[in-house]
Amino acid sequence: MVEHAYLIPLLPFLVSLVILFFFDEDAHSPYAPYLGIATMFWCLVQSLVIFHQASSGAVHPWPYEGSWEWFSFAADSAGKGFSAAMPIGILIDGAAAVMLVVVTLVSLLVQVYSLGYMHGDPRFKRYYAYLSFFTASMLGLVVSNNLLVTFACWELVGVSSYLLIGFWFEKPAPAYASKKAFMTTKLGDCGLYVALLLIWAKFGSFKISMLAVSAATPGVLTPLAATAIGLGILCGAAGKSAQWPLFIWLPDAMEGPTPVSALIHAATMVAAGIYLVAKTYFIYAASPVAMEAVAWIGLITALLAATMALVAYDIKRVLAFSTVSQLGFMLCALGCGGYTAGLFHLTTHAFFKALLFLGAGSVIHSVHTNDMRQMGGLSKKMPVTFGTMFVATLAIAGIWPFAGYFSKDMILERVYGHNQVMFGLLTFAALLTAFYMFRMIFLTFVGDDRDHERHHHAHESPWVMLWPLCLLAFLSVVSGAALAHNGFFEHLVNYKLPEGLMTETLAPRLMPYAVTALVCGSIALSWFFYGRNDFTLAESLKARCSPIFSVLENRYGFDAIFLSLVAFSDRIAKFAFWFDSSVIDQFFVDGWGLITRICAELSGLFDNLFVDRTVDGFGGLSMDAGVLLRSLVTHGQVQEYLMYIAVAVSLFTILILSR
Amino acid sequence: MPILTLITFLPIAGALVILCLPKEAEKPIQITALVSAGLSFVLSLCVLYGFDRAQPLMQFMENADWIPSMHVHYALGVDGLSLPLVLLTTFVTVLALISSLGIKERIKEYFFWFLVLEAGMIGVFEALDLVLFYVFWEMTLVPMYFLIGIWGGPKKEFAAIKFFLYTLAGSVFMLLAILAVYFNSTPNTFDMLALMHQHVNWSARFQILVFLGFYFGFAIKIPAFPFHTWLPLAHVEAPTAVSVILAAVLLKMGVYGLMRISYGMLPLGFAWFIKPLIIIATINIVYGALCAMAQTDMKKMVAYSSVNHMGYCLLGIAGLTATGFQGAVMQMITHGIITGSLFLLVGVIYDRAHTRDISAFGGLAVRVPTYAGLMFLACFASLGLPGLAGFISEFFCFLGAFQAWKVYAAVSVLGVLATAAFFLRMMEKVFLGPFNNKWAGLTDMNARELASIVPLTVMTVALGVYPKWALDIMKETLIYMINTPR
Amino acid sequence: MTLAHYLTLSGLLFLIGIFGALTRRNIIGILMSIELVFNAANINLAAFNHFRHPGGVAGQAVALFFITIAAAEVVVGLALVLAIYRNTDTVYVEEFSLLKG
Repeated sequence: MVEHAYLIPLLPFLVSLVILFFFDEDAHSPYAPYLGIATMFWCLVQSLVIFHQASSGAVHPWPYEGSWEWFSFAADSAGKGFSAAMPIGILIDGAAAVMLVVVTLVSLLVQVYSLGYMHGDPRFKRYYAYLSFFTASMLGLVVSNNLLVTFACWELVGVSSYLLIGFWFEKPAPAYASKKAFMTTKLGDCGLYVALLLIWAKFGSFKISMLAVSAATPGVLTPLAATAIGLGILCGAAGKSAQWPLFIWLPDAMEGPTPVSALIHAATMVAAGIYLVAKTYFIYAASPVAMEAVAWIGLITALLAATMALVAYDIKRVLAFSTVSQLGFMLCALGCGGYTAGLFHLTTHAFFKALLFLGAGSVIHSVHTNDMRQMGGLSKKMPVTFGTMFVATLAIAGIWPFAGYFSKDMILERVYGHNQVMFGLLTFAALLTAFYMFRMIFLTFVGDDRDHERHHHAHESPWVMLWPLCLLAFLSVVSGAALAHNGFFEHLVNYKLPEGLMTETLAPRLMPYAVTALVCGSIALSWFFYGRNDFTLAESLKARCSPIFSVLENRYGFDAIFLSLVAFSDRIAKFAFWFDSSVIDQFFVDGWGLITRICAELSGLFDNLFVDRTVDGFGGLSMDAGVLLRSLVTHGQVQEYLMYIAVAVSLFTILILSR
Repeated sequence: MPILTLITFLPIAGALVILCLPKEAEKPIQITALVSAGLSFVLSLCVLYGFDRAQPLMQFMENADWIPSMHVHYALGVDGLSLPLVLLTTFVTVLALISSLGIKERIKEYFFWFLVLEAGMIGVFEALDLVLFYVFWEMTLVPMYFLIGIWGGPKKEFAAIKFFLYTLAGSVFMLLAILAVYFNSTPNTFDMLALMHQHVNWSARFQILVFLGFYFGFAIKIPAFPFHTWLPLAHVEAPTAVSVILAAVLLKMGVYGLMRISYGMLPLGFAWFIKPLIIIATINIVYGALCAMAQTDMKKMVAYSSVNHMGYCLLGIAGLTATGFQGAVMQMITHGIITGSLFLLVGVIYDRAHTRDISAFGGLAVRVPTYAGLMFLACFASLGLPGLAGFISEFFCFLGAFQAWKVYAAVSVLGVLATAAFFLRMMEKVFLGPFNNKWAGLTDMNARELASIVPLTVMTVALGVYPKWALDIMKETLIYMINTPR
Repeated sequence: MTLAHYLTLSGLLFLIGIFGALTRRNIIGILMSIELVFNAANINLAAFNHFRHPGGVAGQAVALFFITIAAAEVVVGLALVLAIYRNTDTVYVEEFSLLKG
């Protein structure tokens, strides 16, 4: 029912409002979660139907677009204003159909899982309201046919991420982490914002289908403009998808509840950056520079994050670094022209990374710590969790026939065709992935229990948390092979690159086998270091290379750079305020007032001392004269006055007559 | 029916009634104030209902001789530029009056001045005659002086006199400019609509001089850098409801004047000033946000954020594009609504805690969830979150300016980042983190406070999700303004 | 009888009046002397009218007007004198010096 696809984001949105406003804040009330889960199930069914329609080619025309007018506004064209319409609507292409299924599925499973994980939390209903809100915004981002609406949803997922990272806001760490996440992504969004402005200036539209047509028209999009737009979008994507150098927020974001990490910071929201680059791929197609930048950013991130994961002991942080690294793989694939490969890895990664996070959540739920040094030997206590997580680890390491093998293979093949140095580095990152993932498995589940107290109390999680794990484990096994079968996925997302970007170099036939062999070697090495219940080798290595370890543990100092950036902006702000209050306000404005006051005082002084004195002087003079005269002449006798009058009149008369 | 006159003078009538009531009759005074402001709001809604959105020119015109010997007319009218502002004024005034019901001292004078202030503000947006415009403009000044000077904070007298003198200094130049256009128009006229066609006879030099005269008056009101320093002081000292009016409406008079008078009458002067204007806009945005970042007082922070947000208005105007104009007008409306609610919300916490120091709080979200929710919404709206009112207007301002000034607009985007930074920090320090037990006795919002804030919150969401109805009111007029041959 | 005769008469009358007003101690006497001054003026008016504008009546009319005014003035003056007498038991002007500055 692709015509009603707009309901898929709309319904969770309304549900989140309903939950927020009409449900009681009751820790044990099951209605809010059930409403959210039911809605999400409906959305999943709808998405599956759309996916089926898309894959069977039942929709014409394809890609499907439904557009309505959101509002109309005053726009300009060559100095003349006119009324332009801003559309809001849905654009379902192959990528969107896939993303719909991924988002609704993971969201559904996470919501079910949270029934167990978040049970008894005092803000239980608000949690579900936020989850629904997040899913709604994410789905809106996926289906929107208008870049402005996409951007709006992009910001809204950022806010829901902010709210959910800081869900336990009474603790200072989540409160800080949520702010950091929001600010870092916002920093990237500034680039995206400028890119949007540029797009409007170039195309006069935000409608994606229209942009794609104009971008393909020769002469509309100059390479320079395409590069600028592409880099701007890349900024946004780097923020949202936690790419170098903006990846610092994602490890901190692990302060949020673990199911949230699974949904937002592993499977869906962080993939939004990749998805956005894919959605605006027609712009990158016009700019080789931007393409190359995308590839290198992805590659750098994949390598840096993988190395940082090697030394982390917090189980969620290992997964966070792994997420960053895998997102780097996707971005690198996109940058090398591997549109299909990037999206394919996005899909499979969503399944096994969500599984890993939910499994980690299950472990944390059981042993009440994130620190792997206090775990060990949990496989006997938690067999289902161990089994599913092991499957996911095999998948992410890229072992045949698990899902990751197919997607990673596709990426490496594509990168090999693009640039063989990149290929080498990326393969190295893949080997590191296998190493640190198995390190995590060994430290957590294998060997002796290192903390007897915790180990003793450990228990398998309830089934409401386990069956989402099982379902995801199933998908982690089959999704790769199923989607890769007969080029099904490639056919579905189907993006035709312009001629210049097609790479002709084919990877050697033996490449997958070689890579798999190397991965196996890497796993063996990991076992050698961490899997034998004997860490002397690892410890001695750590002692030998402590500078490298400390650099890795400090995340290459990027956090320090971030902090100094914050401190620097604070300093600038303080200076600006000092300038404002001291220089502008007190010096100029109040100074102006003071000058006026001084002038007023001076003129007042002049007035008092000179002008007024003169006037008073004349007055005083006449007064004095009057007093003098009065004392000479008056005795109060009326006849005396009369005589003066008579004399005066006589005198005047004489005077007048004598002329 | 002279509906615009009624809208303007109903508050005056209410003020006169209040003047006749004994000062002990607090309830009747409050009711009179609310009823007259409310009626004015209802009538402005009637105007909105009868307003023809497809018509770009003045509507509901009224014209009568006032001082015939000087060709001064009593002329009122609204178009797509002024109607939204009139609506904003009447709407926000009613809510500010509701929040003023908590005022305890000298109630009679308070409501009297408040209603006079409202009449002045409405009049500024409706006047079509420069003398009338000037009279209304000055009419807002005196009530504001008393409202800040009597019901304000510790430094109220200084703040009031500074506000008064600063603004008056600006309007003196404006008066000069008004006289200049009067004596240089043929035939001599104060009619704003007629003056829009006079610029063909005016030299660039004359237009620049007159523009500067008007600009002084408007820039101080907006407030544009570097004439903005009265604003934080006045806001910090003013009582809550007065801050609301000051931020929501009074600042808009400056931008309105810039668009109606400076742009409409003096195209050459405006064109000459366009480069300084974009620089000032950028400074307002980035510098205002930075100053806000350095604040520890919530109210002062919001005040500086107003400097930042008015910068967006200037940015939109400086683009000289229909989109930018639309953004500027929309930004005036959304800033009025959002900042109005922010000031009201800050007032709520100040009434309870008697402090506005950001670091004095902590973890309040546990204790006052409704308040925290409304505050979060207002802050997010103010930092331009899509789906809330601030985003669309801000985006249009950028979009309009970017077509002409790519670098400045791109630099201004940093202001958006800084805005997010200080709002998020405030939210973290006040509402998140461990609960500060000092505030264990804090109560959540009461009915009066909710009644004054929730309508603004609703509008914030409504304008963000469905901006169409607001955009439609102003669209045609702004397109016409851009397309008028100049 | 020429105009000069009349003017001489009125001049004498005027001087007698002034002399009286200046020298009498009794207020009533002063009032009466002032009446003489009035009448001197009236004579002048009538005389000038008769000799200079033989057809006119303006002079006589004004003279008549003056007589009426004088009567009213006497009434007020006598009332004042009575009030003064009641307050101070005297009608001799040298005993009043309230106006002395």
